[in-house]
Amino acid sequence: MKTRKMLALVLAGAMTAGMAAGCSSGNSGNTGGQTNAGNEAGAETTKQAQDSSSQGSAGGSGEVVEITFPSMWVGVNTFKEWFDNRMEVFNAEYGDSIKVNIEEIAGDQNYVDKIKVLYSSDSLPDAFCTGGYNLIDTMQDKLVDLTPHIDDEWKKMGSDVTWEVNSRDGKIYGIPYARQAIGYFYNKELFAKAGIEKPAETWDEFFEQCDKLLAAGITPLSMDTADSGWVTSLMLGAMIGQTDEGEEFMNTNLPKDYNTPEFIEAAANIQRMFQNYTTSDAVGGAYENAAGNFFTEETAIIANGPWMVSDFYDTNMVEEGFADKIGTAMYPGGVMYNSGKIGFNIGSKDEKTLEATLTFVKFLTNEESQKLMLEMTGDIPAADGITSDKTAPLVNEVIENAGKASHSINDFQSLWYANVVDEISIQYPLLAQGEITPEQFAQALTDAAAKN
Amino acid sequence: MKVKRWKLISFLLPCLLLFGLIYLIPMGIVFGSSFFEWKAGGIFRFIGLENYINAFLYDVRMKTAIKNTIIWVLLQCVIHVGLGTVIAFLLARRLRGWKVLRTIYMIPNVVSAAALGVIFLNVFNAKYGLLNSFITQITGEPFTKNWFFEQNSAFFTVTLTWLLYSGLIVILVLAGIMSIPEDVVEAARIDGASNMQVNLRIRLPLIRTVMGTSVILAATSKLREFELIYLTTNGGPGDKTLNLPLYLYKASMMDNNYGYANMMGVVLIIAGVIVVYCINQLFRMNEGDY
Repeated sequence: MKTRKMLALVLAGAMTAGMAAGCSSGNSGNTGGQTNAGNEAGAETTKQAQDSSSQGSAGGSGEVVEITFPSMWVGVNTFKEWFDNRMEVFNAEYGDSIKVNIEEIAGDQNYVDKIKVLYSSDSLPDAFCTGGYNLIDTMQDKLVDLTPHIDDEWKKMGSDVTWEVNSRDGKIYGIPYARQAIGYFYNKELFAKAGIEKPAETWDEFFEQCDKLLAAGITPLSMDTADSGWVTSLMLGAMIGQTDEGEEFMNTNLPKDYNTPEFIEAAANIQRMFQNYTTSDAVGGAYENAAGNFFTEETAIIANGPWMVSDFYDTNMVEEGFADKIGTAMYPGGVMYNSGKIGFNIGSKDEKTLEATLTFVKFLTNEESQKLMLEMTGDIPAADGITSDKTAPLVNEVIENAGKASHSINDFQSLWYANVVDEISIQYPLLAQGEITPEQFAQALTDAAAKN
Repeated sequence: MKVKRWKLISFLLPCLLLFGLIYLIPMGIVFGSSFFEWKAGGIFRFIGLENYINAFLYDVRMKTAIKNTIIWVLLQCVIHVGLGTVIAFLLARRLRGWKVLRTIYMIPNVVSAAALGVIFLNVFNAKYGLLNSFITQITGEPFTKNWFFEQNSAFFTVTLTWLLYSGLIVILVLAGIMSIPEDVVEAARIDGASNMQVNLRIRLPLIRTVMGTSVILAATSKLREFELIYLTTNGGPGDKTLNLPLYLYKASMMDNNYGYANMMGVVLIIAGVIVVYCINQLFRMNEGDY
C-alpha cells in the first residue's frame, strides 16, 4: 500500500515537472514541427545539423549561434528546391558557427497568420520572408532597422525599386531578394483558333478578343475569388493602372480610399469579366482552379508572374509541349507589374543573433542565390544585371515586357491592407453575381481600410 | 477514509497548474484586454467599454455574426440532435447490419475538418461538383449552381456541411438507451405499452441527461465553429456565412485589432456559459434518473 502511494506521488511529481519543462521557453534545439535547415528528410536534417553543430563546437571556433526562420518554401512550393539547395550550401559553409532552426509552415496565409501571432506575443523569429505580403507597416515597431547594416556591396544586390518597397521613412526594414514583373500568359493556339493575331493593346481591344474567343467556343479568362482572388485582382490592378492617376494609386502604400473613378471603372470591368468571360468555377475558386483551367486549355488567358513558367514544363500538370503554346503579354495600355517585392524581415532581439541572421539573409540574397533562384523558380532577381542562360525563354520575355511597359505598378498584396485583401475575396462573389455595384464594391474596400 | 490535505493538493496540483496556465491566465488576459484599444504597431490604451459599445451598437457585421451563430446553435440543438436521436433509436432495435450502419454514419465525424472542407467544396463545386453533376444527369439540362457562393444558397450549403452528420450524438444516445435496465422496459411492455410508447414514454425520459449532454456538445460545437466556414466560404459572400469565431479571427488576423477580437472572445465565453447553464436547467442535469 505504502509503495503504491509513494509511486503515485512520484508519478504526480514527474507529471508536474514534465509540465514545467514543457512550458519552459528555453531553446533546446529542435522540437515539434521545427526541423533543421537544408534537407529533404527531417531525421536526416536533424542529424546533419547536429553533426555540423558538434563539428563547430569541436573545432574550437566558439559557440554556435542558433537563429530561427519559419519557411513557407515547403511541400509543393515553387521555391522549395531552391531553398533546400541554399540551405545545404549554407550549412556546409556556416554550419560550424550558425545553426538555422527552420519551422516549416505550408501555405502563404498560414505563414502570415503565424507571423502575426508571433508578433502579438512579442516573439518574432530572427528572420522571416512572407513571399510578397507586406507586414512591414504592421510590425515596424518590432522589426530591426537594417539601415546601418546595409553596406554598398549589399546594396548592389537590389535595384533601387526593390529597396524602396522595403523601406519606410528612409529606414530599411526588409532585404530584397526578388523583383515583381507580372503580365499575363495566353495560349497562342487558342488565340489562333479564334483568329487573334497578337495580344490586345487597349482594354477595348482586349474585350473584343474575349468576344472572339467566346465565339470560337473558348472560355477567355481564368479567374478566381478565394484567398485574395490573386489572378482576378491582378487584372483589376492592371485596369486601374492604365492611367497616370491609376498608376499612382497602384503605387500608393496602404490606400484608404477606393472610391476613385479608375477603381470603380476597373471593378465594373471585372464584373463584366465574371459574368461573361470566365469559367463557372471562378466564383469561389482558388488560384489552383484558375491555373488548372489554363493548364487544361479550357481558358486562353491567365494573369500571373514568371514563377508560373516552370509549371508549363511540368508534365504532371500539363501535356508535353504545353510551354510552346504559351505567349506572354503586358496588360493593355502598356501596364506591367514592375516593382520591388517585400523581402526578408528581421526580428532578432540581440546583437549576436542579429549578426548571425544578417549573415544568413546576406547569403540568401547574394548574387549566386539570386541567379539560382532565377534558374530554378523563374522569379526575377532583385539586383539589376543578373541573368542566366538556363532561364526559360518565357521568363526572359516577361522581363523584356517589364522593360517596355509605359505604366509600372505594384501588386495589391504588397501595398494594400491585409483586411482589404481579405475583403476582396468575400466581395468578389457579390460583384460577380451583380448583388452589389462596382461603387458598393469600392465602398466595401474603403470601409475595410478604415478599420486600420 | 480520510485523505490528508497535502496529498490531495499534490495530486490536484498538475491539473490545477495546467488549467491555470492554459485557461485561466489567457482568459484573464482576454477579459482584461477587451477593455483596451490594442492594435498592431504598439497601440495599447484603456478605452473602457468602447469595444463593446461599438460592437453592439454600430458594427453591422457583428450583428450578422451573432445572428448566424445563434441560428446555427439552434439548428444544431434541434435538427442535429433530433436526427441523431432518431437514428440512435432506430439502431437500438438492432436490426440486421446496425453495427455497420453505426460505423458508416460515424465516418464524417472522424475525418478532419480540413479534409471535409475540401470534400464539400468539391461536392458543391459549380463546374464539376457531385451535386450539380447529379442534377444535370437527372434533368438532362446543364446545372451550374454555385452553392457555396450564391447569396440564396450559401448559408444553407454551409449548414449542410455539419447539420446531418450526427454520428457523435448517435453514439451517445445509443449508449444511453443501451444502459437503461431491461426490467424497466419489460415492466412497461407487461403493462401493454407499444414500441412507440416504450421509446417515447420510457426510454426517452430515462436518457434525459444524455440528451442534455448531447445538446450541450451540439451547442458548444457551433459556438466555436471555425474551420469549415473558413475553408469553404471564408464568411462570404459578403458576410452571409460569418459567425463569431470567424469574425474574431478576422478582427485579430486581418484587422490586427486584438482588443476588439478579445472582446468577441469574452462574448463567446459568456455565451457559452449561458448556453450551458440554460441547457443544464432545461434538462435538469443535476437530478438522477433512477
